[in-house]
Amino acid sequence: MPNFRHAAWLLVVAGLCWLMLLLGSLSQGRAVLGLPPDWPRWLLLAAQGGFAASIFLYARLQPEALRGHGFIAVLRRLFWRGLVLTAGLVALLALERLRAARVLALPGNSLSATTYTISLGLFILLLAQTLYSWRALVSFRSSGKLRREWLAFELLLGATLLLQLIPWQLPDFLQVGSMLALGVFGVYLSGHQRWVAYLSQGQKAQAIFLQLGVLAFLLVFLQYLRGAQTNSLLLVPPTQQAFLVLASFFAVFYAVAGLLVTLFNLPIADVYEQRRAEILSLQQLSQIIQRGQTAPEIYHALFTSAVQTIRANAAWLDAQLQPTDQAGPLPAPLAHELTEADLAAMRPQLAALLSDEKTEFIDNDLLRSQRFAGLSRPYRSAAVLALRSPTHDYGVLVLLKDELGGFDPEDLSILHTFTTQTVLSLENLQLAQEARVSQRAQDELRIAALVQERLIPKHLPTDNWFEISTYAQAAKEVGGDFYDFLHLPGQRLAVLIGDVSGKGVTAAFHTAQMKGIFHALMQPNPLAKKDRDRYPDPHRFMVLANEALTHCLERSSFITASFYLIDYEAGGFSFARAGHCHTLYYHSIKEEVSYFRSEGLGLGILRDDSYGRHVKNQFWDYNPGDVMVIYTDGIPEARNGEGDEYGEERLARMLEQCFYQSAEEINQYIRHDVQEFSKGLPLHDDQTLLVIKFKASQPQV
Amino acid sequence: MKVTAQPHDTTLTLILDGELDASSAVVLDTELNKPDLLTYQKVLIDCQRLSYISSAGLGVFISHLQRLQDSQVKLVFYNMQEKVFNVFEILGLDSLMTIVPSEQEAQAA
Repeated sequence: MPNFRHAAWLLVVAGLCWLMLLLGSLSQGRAVLGLPPDWPRWLLLAAQGGFAASIFLYARLQPEALRGHGFIAVLRRLFWRGLVLTAGLVALLALERLRAARVLALPGNSLSATTYTISLGLFILLLAQTLYSWRALVSFRSSGKLRREWLAFELLLGATLLLQLIPWQLPDFLQVGSMLALGVFGVYLSGHQRWVAYLSQGQKAQAIFLQLGVLAFLLVFLQYLRGAQTNSLLLVPPTQQAFLVLASFFAVFYAVAGLLVTLFNLPIADVYEQRRAEILSLQQLSQIIQRGQTAPEIYHALFTSAVQTIRANAAWLDAQLQPTDQAGPLPAPLAHELTEADLAAMRPQLAALLSDEKTEFIDNDLLRSQRFAGLSRPYRSAAVLALRSPTHDYGVLVLLKDELGGFDPEDLSILHTFTTQTVLSLENLQLAQEARVSQRAQDELRIAALVQERLIPKHLPTDNWFEISTYAQAAKEVGGDFYDFLHLPGQRLAVLIGDVSGKGVTAAFHTAQMKGIFHALMQPNPLAKKDRDRYPDPHRFMVLANEALTHCLERSSFITASFYLIDYEAGGFSFARAGHCHTLYYHSIKEEVSYFRSEGLGLGILRDDSYGRHVKNQFWDYNPGDVMVIYTDGIPEARNGEGDEYGEERLARMLEQCFYQSAEEINQYIRHDVQEFSKGLPLHDDQTLLVIKFKASQPQV
Repeated sequence: MKVTAQPHDTTLTLILDGELDASSAVVLDTELNKPDLLTYQKVLIDCQRLSYISSAGLGVFISHLQRLQDSQVKLVFYNMQEKVFNVFEILGLDSLMTIVPSEQEAQAA
């Protein structure tokens, strides 16, 4: 409190001034405390002025009385202080009365002077309190201009204090004129009663009572002082007429004006109050939206807001018409002053009412229209609002009132705002839930893609006998392409390529399964007599894989695969195809490109012993310079803007053009052509492309 | 994708129209899952307007294959476009399922 020291100092000054004033009053016609009698008039005026000035300054320096909207608190504080001060005055007067009636033997005739001086002090205290309470109210929501005007008013009041000290008198007309001008200024300031609009009904009654009290206290003081001025028994110094008159005039006038404004505000107070309640309810509703709470909470907020704001006698919020895909449990219907039987009686009638396109209406004479017959109490008015979005029905809100003509269009528009807000928040809630679900799905896909990424071999087999080049591109969703290599003893290489039906996490899972099966089947069989029999041939591989998959693949899923066992010492390979794309082959001796068109059923389609009959083992002896192109259906089924497919023929033509290049170059050449073909389109399916080029056998370095 | 069912005495004809992919496979699956399907002797699939079939679409037929065979209901495809037939052929389904060129042959099968 930076002002505290100054404020305390002002109180000391006020105390000293008041003591001087008291002594001066007592010195009328005699010596007091050995001082000469009849003190000069200017000294008394100065003491009185000093007292008033320091009390007013002290009040002025106090922290602002009004905090937020605490108007009643300001008035109440003023009332109690006024009451204490007035009680002091009354007690003083009572004492004087008692002495006058000789009930009490009090010394000397100095009592009246003392009483008067004390009363004057009390009055100035009350005036200062009142003035600065009024200042708080006047400056509520005030502009800078108004605050400057108030300061000017204070300065002018202060000037009247000083004027009294000037020995020469102003001409009468000037004195009266300036007094009148200042009075008008006060009246003007009294027009600022903006705070009254912010009072509720109950607060207005309180405000009127408190203002009446303050007014009464002021009048009691003024009455006494007016009497004292003309009391011949009392020899008093002249009071600071102008200042006190003006200050009291303003204090009284502001109180009266406030009282009248409050009084005339009473009839329309409930309208303001309703507006305020509406705003608060809307605020509450929008807060719930922001917090993203549950549907039952939103319904509850709507229901209580609507019932309170509209002051319905009975109400019902039926959320039965909820869309079934709304997440979370269906909130129980909310009812106010209605029984289960009432609800059962109303439901079919409501459904009939809302069957047409109408979403809101008022019925202000239920008895005549016979709507909602069969309720336990005869309600006369009803408002019905359906909670509807373009896509969903969220329920219906019914409000009932006892009186005829209970609802007006204004009510309906408020309720409409409420219901729109509610529907909006319910939709938001649903969107948020959907976003959460899709976020989770995306996360899962990301993980699946990561799993799949790890399943792709990072290290390609290298040898002097062949070149291998690989390319794999997953479509946006996780697909089911896979490939793998395994070096077997005796200069053999096992190559597996495949495609799992379906997409997403399940596909990634089956891919991993297939890779596991591959590695399990490619374990050397210790019982095999011949080295060549240690590992299953491609036909047997497919039969075993099919059997393994029978137990873990759902009925509608299947896997296509091609398995190659390359024996590059012998210069040949055996292979089997299980529903997978045909292998494209460049034959270096015949200088010809062709497909190995063999029969072979996909894995997981037949789940009994008969599968072995549907897959064949084939053999091929290769020559140096031969090229094998292995791929998944994402390559031939790649589409262009017209919806045409890339096709096997174009693929074969590509190999014809580039067979002489290295495996990596062939791969890039084909890949580039496929990408050019489907330029600008999102990848339709995963694409995998393996190119194996056989070289002339070379001694190992 | 549109699936139209035309029951006729002991034969049910399902006419497929459009692309049979993961999303439309559900429609077909619902149709094939109906219990009264097993009361027919034959289920004919008219593929004239079937322009594309994905692995999910194939999966639907595969998943019902065993069930239909067990109930001795014949499943016959006809009027299949070459592109679609290629898919059946590559997967090896042509050896498991009856695929005939015309409706007459389908009725006779």
